[in-house]
Amino acid sequence: MSGVAGSSRPKLRPGCRLGDTAQQGDVLLIPEGVLRLVGPGRKIVERCDGRHTLDDIVRDLKSEFPSVVPERIESEVGTFVERLNKKGVLEL
Amino acid sequence: MPSGPLSLIAEVTHRCPLHCVYCSNPLEMQMRDRELPTGIWADVFQSAAELGVMQLHLTGGEPLARTDLTELVAAARKARLYVNLITSGMGLANERLEGLVAAGLDHIQLSFQDSDENSANEIAGARSHAHKIRLAGLIKQHRLAFTANLVVHRQNVDRLGTMIALAEELGVDRLEIAHVQYYGWALHNRARLLPTRAQWEHSLAMITAARERLAGRIRIDFVAPDYYAKYPKACMGGWGRSVMLIDPAGRALPCHAAGCIPGLAFDNVSEKTLRWIWEESPAFNKFRGEDWMPEPCRSCDRRTVDFGGCRCQALLLTGDASATDPVCTLSPKHGVVEAVLDQVNRSPEADDRLQWVYRIDPGASPGLPQC
Repeated sequence: MSGVAGSSRPKLRPGCRLGDTAQQGDVLLIPEGVLRLVGPGRKIVERCDGRHTLDDIVRDLKSEFPSVVPERIESEVGTFVERLNKKGVLEL
Repeated sequence: MPSGPLSLIAEVTHRCPLHCVYCSNPLEMQMRDRELPTGIWADVFQSAAELGVMQLHLTGGEPLARTDLTELVAAARKARLYVNLITSGMGLANERLEGLVAAGLDHIQLSFQDSDENSANEIAGARSHAHKIRLAGLIKQHRLAFTANLVVHRQNVDRLGTMIALAEELGVDRLEIAHVQYYGWALHNRARLLPTRAQWEHSLAMITAARERLAGRIRIDFVAPDYYAKYPKACMGGWGRSVMLIDPAGRALPCHAAGCIPGLAFDNVSEKTLRWIWEESPAFNKFRGEDWMPEPCRSCDRRTVDFGGCRCQALLLTGDASATDPVCTLSPKHGVVEAVLDQVNRSPEADDRLQWVYRIDPGASPGLPQC
């Protein structure tokens, strides 16, 4: 489990934005850097808009991936959000 | 065939109001009348994006010296590049900053020479520190992603703690703490800039602690003084592997300093396509792969990690651009670096009386040997 509360509303920090999928693939562009997003990474980041809570994001992902064990989605989304926060990409 | 570059460094001008003693520009700079016009830069950005570039670093000199900077930012965003502005901030006031943000500027990197105003101005060779502090407030108002670049060396690294605190106070999102690398202007001032071993180790400990304390608030990137390293840096991620630099006149180079390597012809974007330069040009292919490597690199396990280190440093310290980077402890020429370190660690204050060699304006004669 991650240390991020389910009620927190993650939001991309200034200067962090998704790349153009057609031209650049699934990437997150950040100040002087590029993070490649794999698996559902892009779907999670798209919802980090300061409105969705972490719980909302988990619920959306569960309905998009019904065949994946729900606990796994909970833990992976939390860990992913926490990692991007540590990198200074997301504010919580 | 090499994969495409990820980053394009656009030195849009060599003009600059500052005269920093460690400037990364070459000693021989491009004049204003040779600078590429707006339209060619716009084409370059488009071609770069098609080649795979995602990050554009608009730098100089001082990019704000270009009156068309806002148009350049807009052209780069049109090509779907991420636009970083690397600046001293001199010449930037609210109206112009608004225009740059509206044109799509993604991120601004503002350099600070010190936390102490007098020392900062001495290093920059200009009164600039107070303006930068004011500008930081404006940047925050625009909610623009903000990096403070702190260049550290023997004369200021003892104040690193205060410098980090200043950056925190200014509300930066990211900190780049870079020990000076010794090329061009910095090499001429090395005797006054190179830190002692104790200073270097102390700075590393401070940065490690700051990273831990600021995790989630301020991301810290760090450049080590490679003279103290055991192995060389993978300079620019390897020659012609991920970065392309275009100088103000349109010459394409694998790095800031490569122009000093004799015998290499660097092609110009006004004459050749960016793709040809990246994939086919002799200069970009010169130090790709492993065929050019001497021993001990050729049979070393680290050859795919550091690519033999920096070609320019090899040239500057050994006279041979194909040599193993002499900062490597395995280099047969490592003694050159050890001798420099011995001197600075024995009596650093002896060299503190030397005169600075200030970076001059394009067209002025530095009166120094090239490189």
